[in-house]
Amino acid sequence: MSELFFEINPSNGVPVYEQVARQIVSAVASGGLESGQMVPSVREMAKELAINPNTVARAYRQLQDEAILETVRGSGIAVASGAKQKCRSKRAKIIRGRIAGVMEEARQSQLSDEEIMKMIQTELRKRTK
Amino acid sequence: MSVDSNEKEYPVVKISGLTKRFGSTVALDDVSLKIPRGVVFALLGENGAGKSTCLRTLLGLEQPDSGSIEVLGMDSSKQGIDIRASVGYVPEAPALYEWMTVAEIGWFTAGFYPTGFQAEFERLATEYELPLDRKIKKLSKGGKAKVSLALAAAHKPPLMIMDEPTSGLDTLVRRKFLESMVDIAASGRTVLLSSHQIPEVERVADTVAIINQGQLLVCDSLDNLKQSMEQWIVTLASGITELPSIDAEILLHEGQGSRRQRLLVRNTTPDCLWKMRDAHDVQEVEVHTPSLEEIFVGLIKSSKNKVSDKLSSAASNQSAEVSQ
Repeated sequence: MSELFFEINPSNGVPVYEQVARQIVSAVASGGLESGQMVPSVREMAKELAINPNTVARAYRQLQDEAILETVRGSGIAVASGAKQKCRSKRAKIIRGRIAGVMEEARQSQLSDEEIMKMIQTELRKRTK
Repeated sequence: MSVDSNEKEYPVVKISGLTKRFGSTVALDDVSLKIPRGVVFALLGENGAGKSTCLRTLLGLEQPDSGSIEVLGMDSSKQGIDIRASVGYVPEAPALYEWMTVAEIGWFTAGFYPTGFQAEFERLATEYELPLDRKIKKLSKGGKAKVSLALAAAHKPPLMIMDEPTSGLDTLVRRKFLESMVDIAASGRTVLLSSHQIPEVERVADTVAIINQGQLLVCDSLDNLKQSMEQWIVTLASGITELPSIDAEILLHEGQGSRRQRLLVRNTTPDCLWKMRDAHDVQEVEVHTPSLEEIFVGLIKSSKNKVSDKLSSAASNQSAEVSQ
């Protein structure tokens, strides 16, 4: 699990359980965690990240409710089958939310649609090289 | 008995109306709180707020002036010795026999506990990368702190009490301490720590109690605490420096008299936010979830203001009496 390099920042306004859940989602979406692969136990994960175990349990519960994780009898918690597709659309949704936030900020700083569009295109072009 | 069947609901620590004075100083003023099983409970406060006194009274090392404390079902004022034998205690400044080696102090302390202590102590010492044959006096400050932690944890106590466990330690040792707290709670046991390292507490704690000048300002889960508060950054229309009135408790108000003002509000409603956003003089309201540090500062400052309000109103009453 340590190869996933989760990063937790408890004071950035996003609840810590949400940060854990998002990073698992992102790892599944990108193929770093595959269906059927075990995730660390609550205790291991809490220790690894040095965060409260109830917080990890909450993140796992949420992902189990969304059928991204599943309990494997007798051995622990694993990535559910078909989780990759779900995580991809979930990740897209998270990113869309972030873009919406940036748009809101751009509007409030009185940038025109053309200016915003230009910025987005410049940023995209930088990355397609 | 019924205590066993209720073990989960039965609080590990129950403090009722605890008051402690040292001369004319009130160190703890009518503090009541409960700590449930399996949590990391953090006592936060500035230096001299009453945290250490609270922990020492809980362990029976100080007698309360009034009120009572139960720890694991035992009375702190009468069964201090039994409590200290049952819990793990990591004091702020641990006193260790400097001339012993790490292995020797484990062996020596094992004499006070049931079998299994020494093996667990050595397992922990190895995990914390402590050289067993090194003399305590040759260890760094962090090394000594790790010995103290291993000694407190080796009998697998149901409750670990840690007084400022990470202050003055370097990053890697602090991390070990945090990991051990998390691990204890994950195994269903309870951790009570006092700290002023707010970002660390924000990482590991479930429940937070904030003490200021001996008074308990708040005791709640970290989630509830964060949900009950919002940070608003209000930008007013040009030429306006007066904030419209709001129907919420304002804990902190910065930038008064300027166009941009920052507020920490408690128990606000969406309605209240919309009113603020719709107000004629308001250009924009940004809403953030406050960090524990912002909550801490807000609560401490607002409680100090309340005290000074009281004092100044007392003073003005007095002057009114004089003028009559």
